[in-house]
Amino acid sequence: MTGFQRIRSTLIGVLMLISSFILIRFPDYGFMIIAGILSISLAIYGIRTLVFYFTLARHMVGGREIFYLGVIVLDFGIFTITVADVSPVFLIAYLLAVYVFAGLIDILRALEAKKLAAPSWKFRLAGGIVSIIIALVAVVFGIVLKSMDTLVYIYAIGLIYSAVTRIITAFRKSAMVYIQ
Amino acid sequence: MQTDFHYYATYCAAYFAGYSHEECMEICYSAQFVDWCSHTLLSKLDAPVNAATTQLQLELMSSGDDMISLQNITRIWASFHFLPGDLNAERPGCSKRYLDKYRLICKPNGRLIVSTVEHAKDRSLQAVGIAMHVLADTWAHQNFAGTPSLVINNTDSHFFELIPEGDGYIERRITFKHNPGLPDDPETSVYVSSLYQSNENSIMNLGHGRAGHLPDYSFIRYRYLPAWGDYDEITKDNPSDYIHAFAQMIQALKYLKGTYPSFDTDSYDFEAFAPYREEIEAILKTRCLDPCKEWKAFGEKLSGREIEDFDIDKYQTEYTEAPNEAKDDTFLGRFITGAMTQKSMVTNAIFESGNKRAGYSRVQKREGRS
Repeated sequence: MTGFQRIRSTLIGVLMLISSFILIRFPDYGFMIIAGILSISLAIYGIRTLVFYFTLARHMVGGREIFYLGVIVLDFGIFTITVADVSPVFLIAYLLAVYVFAGLIDILRALEAKKLAAPSWKFRLAGGIVSIIIALVAVVFGIVLKSMDTLVYIYAIGLIYSAVTRIITAFRKSAMVYIQ
Repeated sequence: MQTDFHYYATYCAAYFAGYSHEECMEICYSAQFVDWCSHTLLSKLDAPVNAATTQLQLELMSSGDDMISLQNITRIWASFHFLPGDLNAERPGCSKRYLDKYRLICKPNGRLIVSTVEHAKDRSLQAVGIAMHVLADTWAHQNFAGTPSLVINNTDSHFFELIPEGDGYIERRITFKHNPGLPDDPETSVYVSSLYQSNENSIMNLGHGRAGHLPDYSFIRYRYLPAWGDYDEITKDNPSDYIHAFAQMIQALKYLKGTYPSFDTDSYDFEAFAPYREEIEAILKTRCLDPCKEWKAFGEKLSGREIEDFDIDKYQTEYTEAPNEAKDDTFLGRFITGAMTQKSMVTNAIFESGNKRAGYSRVQKREGRS
């Protein structure tokens, strides 16, 4: 990770921390704000990925995967804002589903990193497992015990955890193959 | 390439070209020093930092992916380690943004290698050594670009090693690990490479990082799909490429020494080492990661003189203790002048081709600090 990428990662971590504090302070409509931020972020990322594909990556071996990624992420971004309009319960369920999905992706990437002997796999695996546990606990409290405030707080704690791990990762030593 | 070729093999090539032992030592030291002359080292010596010919791992990790940082990286790596093969290369249907990267792909026998060798003519032995490093790397690093780019330098899992057996080869899939702490293992074809980074300008996508050190090993043959190759497979035959690099170095060195009137692309002096060719090919094909010992023994047998090991500190005191007006006449002073001239020449050639990826450099005088 370069210096610039470290700063960017840290800033995203800080943004996540601010989002979680908004949720804790305004549990009633904080989810709408989070959904808005998530939607815009995903849409921008999706569009940037598609621009990257059409200007550069379409000439690259395996570049079509980048196209699919751009379409899917952009679709997620648009879908997020439409869900926010329907009902807070749907929105919370959707955000938790995204959380579980992110946790699963982390676990899969950790297993892949372990297979390739990359040193970061343990940290990533722990992050993925914690994400899924937090989402499950949130489901139990929010949907089964119907305690919306508790659900919001648990989700916010999960967000704080993700933010902290992102900031720690930004300052971890990263390794590359030194070419001569 | 590593010390085996940049230092010991360069010594042998210079000896075959007719240089004395002392001159060979200066040439091969300079060729090897290209891999050590970083911004950090030059700062320590209070020398001009824009003469850097390489970047340390930490320097790379701390540089940004903004345009200025990318230009700085490209100036260094394209000028000294991945000399572009064709700055006007065409590929139908591609954007200018793509072509600017595509045209930086390193290839042997491009116009820039002729300019590189010609720029070293009638100049210091240090400039000659720098030119030999650049020339040798055009063979080892071909098909990768000296600029961070996923769409050019990426590789995928389609990677097979061709291992000699009998009259032919057996194929074995190469497994890449991403932990630089692990050693490469030719016995099992498990090698270390940089991690996939989807960011186009990630430093992980510089040069041949995604293919690990495979281009640096003289013994290896492999086939793979380069990211830019439109799904056409490339078979890289390093023993063949390295022997061509060796023969071309001798050709260039003979031109620089005045034996030949000109240096052209696709010209090789195989005759110079014909009696030793089998011995040299045997060293190149030895399946080991560091054949320095073999090259050193061969070089010492050739000249009958001891080739001392490369010592990065060897000329530093001479430079730091010299008064300012005499620094250009020290060993490192001459190296710095040669490096700045080479970097200026390549940077401006890239710029004049309409490509801003390496920025712009004022024209460096061929002699002197200014």
